[in-house]
Amino acid sequence: MRGKILALAIVVLCLAIFPFVVKNRFYVSLINQMLIYGLLAMSLDVLLGYTGLLSFMHNAYLGAGAYLVGLFLLHVSPSSLWLTLLVGVLGTLILALPVGWVQVRTGGLAFALLTLAFGMMFFTVAWKWYSVTGGDDGLMGVPHPDISFFGMVAGNTGNPVAMYLLTLGVVLLCFLLTWRIVHSPFGAVLEAIRENEARASFVGINVRKYKLLGWLLACGLAGMSGGLFILWRGYIGPTTMSAFAGAGVLMMVLLGGMGSLWGPFVGAGIFILMQDYISTMTEHWELFVGLVVILLVLFLPRGFVGLGDYVMRFRKE
Amino acid sequence: MNIAVDIVLNSLVLSGVFLIVAIGLNIIYGLSRVMNLAHGSLYALGAYASVTLMSFGANFFVALVIAPVAVALIGLVMERTVIAPMRKRSIVYTLILTYGLMFLLDGLIRYIWGNEPRFVKLPLFLQDTVPILGTQYPVYRLATLVIIAATMAGLMLFLEKTRTGITLRAASTIPEMVSCLGINMKLVHIGAFVLGCAMAGIAGVVAGPLYSIDPVMGHEMLISSFVVIVIGGLGSLRGAVFAALLVGLVQTLAEFFITDLAMVIVYMLMAVILAFMPRGLLGEGRFE
Repeated sequence: MRGKILALAIVVLCLAIFPFVVKNRFYVSLINQMLIYGLLAMSLDVLLGYTGLLSFMHNAYLGAGAYLVGLFLLHVSPSSLWLTLLVGVLGTLILALPVGWVQVRTGGLAFALLTLAFGMMFFTVAWKWYSVTGGDDGLMGVPHPDISFFGMVAGNTGNPVAMYLLTLGVVLLCFLLTWRIVHSPFGAVLEAIRENEARASFVGINVRKYKLLGWLLACGLAGMSGGLFILWRGYIGPTTMSAFAGAGVLMMVLLGGMGSLWGPFVGAGIFILMQDYISTMTEHWELFVGLVVILLVLFLPRGFVGLGDYVMRFRKE
Repeated sequence: MNIAVDIVLNSLVLSGVFLIVAIGLNIIYGLSRVMNLAHGSLYALGAYASVTLMSFGANFFVALVIAPVAVALIGLVMERTVIAPMRKRSIVYTLILTYGLMFLLDGLIRYIWGNEPRFVKLPLFLQDTVPILGTQYPVYRLATLVIIAATMAGLMLFLEKTRTGITLRAASTIPEMVSCLGINMKLVHIGAFVLGCAMAGIAGVVAGPLYSIDPVMGHEMLISSFVVIVIGGLGSLRGAVFAALLVGLVQTLAEFFITDLAMVIVYMLMAVILAFMPRGLLGEGRFE
């Protein structure tokens, strides 16, 4: 336990001083992106790794959060950071509630299919509702509010370093919060549902209610990642909400390892690096993603986290 | 009046295509418990295969026979290499796997045939329109209905009257018993998968001249066919018939009146039906 806290502290420290050591804006922005997607992937892991529910288009909730925050900044109040993040998360939760309500009445397979259908529905709405979401063009020119604590301005979200630190702080908070939640009796219930739904219900657990709560937690976190996303990028378009992007998030969780909260961050990092690298080499990115997903499922289902276990076993012998 | 006839006939055609695809998906799922997310891509492959075959001079009907065979062969390769080892694992992994396969196949389609839409040239006698009940209706669409009806009839005959067909049906109800009878389940799984893929291929060839042939056609068909099998009940062939008719009608009407958000209506339909009837319309679905 001590070791883990120490490891986390070291990682956070390294991440915190990173933008001051590596002055290149591109890399700061890249790690920022990894943190945001890491949060999204972690939220999917809460859903998939801990509760056992597969979602094909979890990125729809990143999109929802991003559009909500963007619209709020554009039309309501361009300068309130914390309020808009709150609105983003709450708004995403409000959207996720009815969807979740319908989805948890079904089993694993139908659940996954429904996430695909609802995700496509969100995508279609984002794409076609031109007057509100800007359609294909997306939301542009989103203002960058200042980051202020109790009236003191610490930086502006348009500044890459300030935004990076904000992301780091928020993501860390979410990570700790989620860690606390999954290591509580609530988390144990979720895992029980993942292991054997029928048995969980025999023990007296209201399976539907807990699935819904797990779903809401995952979507709330995703909404937060969406808010961070649009602050970071200043733009959101329907492509981020596409089925392909949804596969990307799934791949991040697979790569990093399901069932551990930090694995998805590693997965997100690897995925984003790969995406950056490969897309400069070929436009047939889709083919590659498909191939990697297949190979991962066949040979490395526990992802990066699994690799660690494999190495540990070696060392013990 | 004319428009009503158009709408009804169009929705029948759409339902027909949905039906073939959905039945293929249901056959695979009913037997192997594998939800083949790559089914839409196989459908697209059927259409693209017919494009290539016809560009080599083959006539439409020849393509209609050969393309599904090609798709079935691809399905065979898929099944043996990738799907069989996954059958024992949890359903989450099979879903993710076939999801990956979908992207692989879609990427392959883009790689081989490019991003631009393709077109198929129909034989002359199918290009005309015919007056029906006060409207001019394309002959090809009527021909589609005939082809689909013939395929369904053939399938029903196969499933009810041939030994292989009966084995397939038995295996989807009680696989252990079939295995006890000494029948090689491996062959049964392969057979079901190949049959399902062939169905997707046929639907693809038939749908090619109807709707546009482009790299995203697979995605759209996939989601629609999910809606159909979920509403009809997962694994239920009879349910698929009713569901296909319902979804075809709803989608055609929605597209006519609302166009842009048509699919949203379809998804809502699925959500509502799933919420209150998780076993599908006929209550025959597998609730997994």
